[in-house]
Amino acid sequence: MNILVFIKQVADTEARILIKSDNKSLEIENKYNLNFFDEFAVEEAIRLKTKLKDSKVIVCTCGGKKAIEALRTAIAMGADQAYLIDNTDVDTEDPLITAKILAGYAKKEGFDIILCGRQAIDDENGAIGPMVAEFLNIPHISAIMKLDVKDEKHMIVERDAEGARQTFEVELPALFTTQKGINEPRVPLITGVMKAMKANIPVVDPLTLGLKKEELNSGASKIDVLFYETPKARPPVKIIDGETAQEKARKLVKLLKEEAKVL
Amino acid sequence: MDFTLTEQQEFFKKVIVDTVDRMIVPKAQEIDEKDEFPWNLWKEFTALGYLGLRYPEEIGGMNADKIMCMIFYEEIARGSVGFAQSVIMNILMGTYFIYRFGSDSIKERCLYPAMRGEKIATICFTEDQSGSDLGATRTTAVKDGNGWRINGTKMWITNGPICDFCTVLATTDPSKGLKALNFFLVEKGTPGFSSGQVLNKLGCRGTVTGELVFDNVWVPDENFLGDELGKGVIYVGEILDEVRLMTAAMALGIAKGAYNEGLEFARKRVAFGQPIGNYQLIREKFADMDTLMNAARLMIYYGAWMMENNMDVRTLAAETKMFATEVCLKVVDEVTRIYGANAFAHEYTPQRYFRDARFLLYGGGTHEVLKDFIGRSIIGKL
Repeated sequence: MNILVFIKQVADTEARILIKSDNKSLEIENKYNLNFFDEFAVEEAIRLKTKLKDSKVIVCTCGGKKAIEALRTAIAMGADQAYLIDNTDVDTEDPLITAKILAGYAKKEGFDIILCGRQAIDDENGAIGPMVAEFLNIPHISAIMKLDVKDEKHMIVERDAEGARQTFEVELPALFTTQKGINEPRVPLITGVMKAMKANIPVVDPLTLGLKKEELNSGASKIDVLFYETPKARPPVKIIDGETAQEKARKLVKLLKEEAKVL
Repeated sequence: MDFTLTEQQEFFKKVIVDTVDRMIVPKAQEIDEKDEFPWNLWKEFTALGYLGLRYPEEIGGMNADKIMCMIFYEEIARGSVGFAQSVIMNILMGTYFIYRFGSDSIKERCLYPAMRGEKIATICFTEDQSGSDLGATRTTAVKDGNGWRINGTKMWITNGPICDFCTVLATTDPSKGLKALNFFLVEKGTPGFSSGQVLNKLGCRGTVTGELVFDNVWVPDENFLGDELGKGVIYVGEILDEVRLMTAAMALGIAKGAYNEGLEFARKRVAFGQPIGNYQLIREKFADMDTLMNAARLMIYYGAWMMENNMDVRTLAAETKMFATEVCLKVVDEVTRIYGANAFAHEYTPQRYFRDARFLLYGGGTHEVLKDFIGRSIIGKL
């Protein structure tokens, strides 16, 4: 069984991010990680592999050369193979284009299950998973919290809904996006790290995936970034003075009513 | 000259940074406060396989190059130097002579379990009257039948009170000074081998450091670790440079840990209406700290590169240990100033770095001894 995992390398949450002078692009400190939600997908794929006979975990990302590091992280965790789809000439602002590329790759590689994080923590689009499933014409369930094997053709998955937990039976092939809480991603063993350090990670040209050049480059995008702006600075913390706790509480309630207008 | 890390080294650095951030950093304050050996963390961390870092893959190691070793030493010390000391003892000094000279059965009994974290190793150099001055070693090993009888007391032994085995430096002829020093393996449970006083230390808390007593301990000939008698000091020389560079890397790790805390504080702490990082005198501290840490890192990596290329690194290793440790002391001091009075409270981390930094002044040679050695090696014998 082929278990495909689509991952993304994103800026570290602590990386310094500045808006460039053109206001349309970002300057990001050289600190990158495997996307938080994708770690759950990789972990779940590795766990699934142990439950299914003759299965392998293939990890893939559409990114720059630097993204090889995120692929190596997945191999260190236990993935069998990794591929980098070179995005040098791809308009990466539009998730539709990335989804087309990944769907093209999935068709070429062959798959039974696709896993990916429910969203990337940089652009927060949350669009790739559902879009890929759509292009492949397969079922998908978002933000799953549990994945069990029913048989070789069916999975039982659970996800949280408003006030309840939903359980689905899904026929394969299918795509699932993973939510925080589905598992605890492992810390790689040194044997995995060594395997990852030596792993040969082939680079795939997106034009070999059944896509035309005009579908990928900057003219293809239906989305334009107009500008970036920095979030407004938060107002300073207000310390409430008072002789007694009661007096402070009275002042706080007054402020919440009159200034913050939340009561 | 090429100063870039290879893709493999970069990846290894990233993995170990993440691992330390996830497993060790959250527990560092607790390790320091409790000052007890963190058995659970030891079990979790050593299960990952890092204790075989510098040994060949054929015996379950990683065969890491020297730069990767330095990256590891720096990062684990950044997490918790108390924990790092115990880990590095198993990786380097505590197992080196067993790996180099141990019989197959000794390796099965001691080395391989130590590489898996199932046994705790240590090395015993220091005594109450000798540290850097190895020639003053008073622990004796006297030939007795098919083995050796060892008598003496060792002090300041990292992992000592909890070790499963130790490599002991002893003299086979006190009149011959450095020329009669030899290493012997002593395993836990050997009659006459016991642990004495456990030290209550200023820093590096969490590492159990103390006294080991050898009272008429008899070990078989197999436990003599060497090719021939009297070459102990030469064997020490095989790892001394690595030990000094390792100490430097640990110092840099402590400095980096403190620096990171200081940076976060300087960005967030508001005084007179703006973050203190906006003030020139605070910026100056970061300019100085970053410059010094970069210089220390370059020396450490350069030394590691020289070792990797079998070059003579004795003088540079001593210089690097001395420089990086002094840089560490400067950085932890500056961070306590950036933190202001909060640095004086146990609730915050700067005081821990401040205390931890002191220990590295002595391990790997005091700076007074090192300066003399460096000066002598430059000027030569007149």
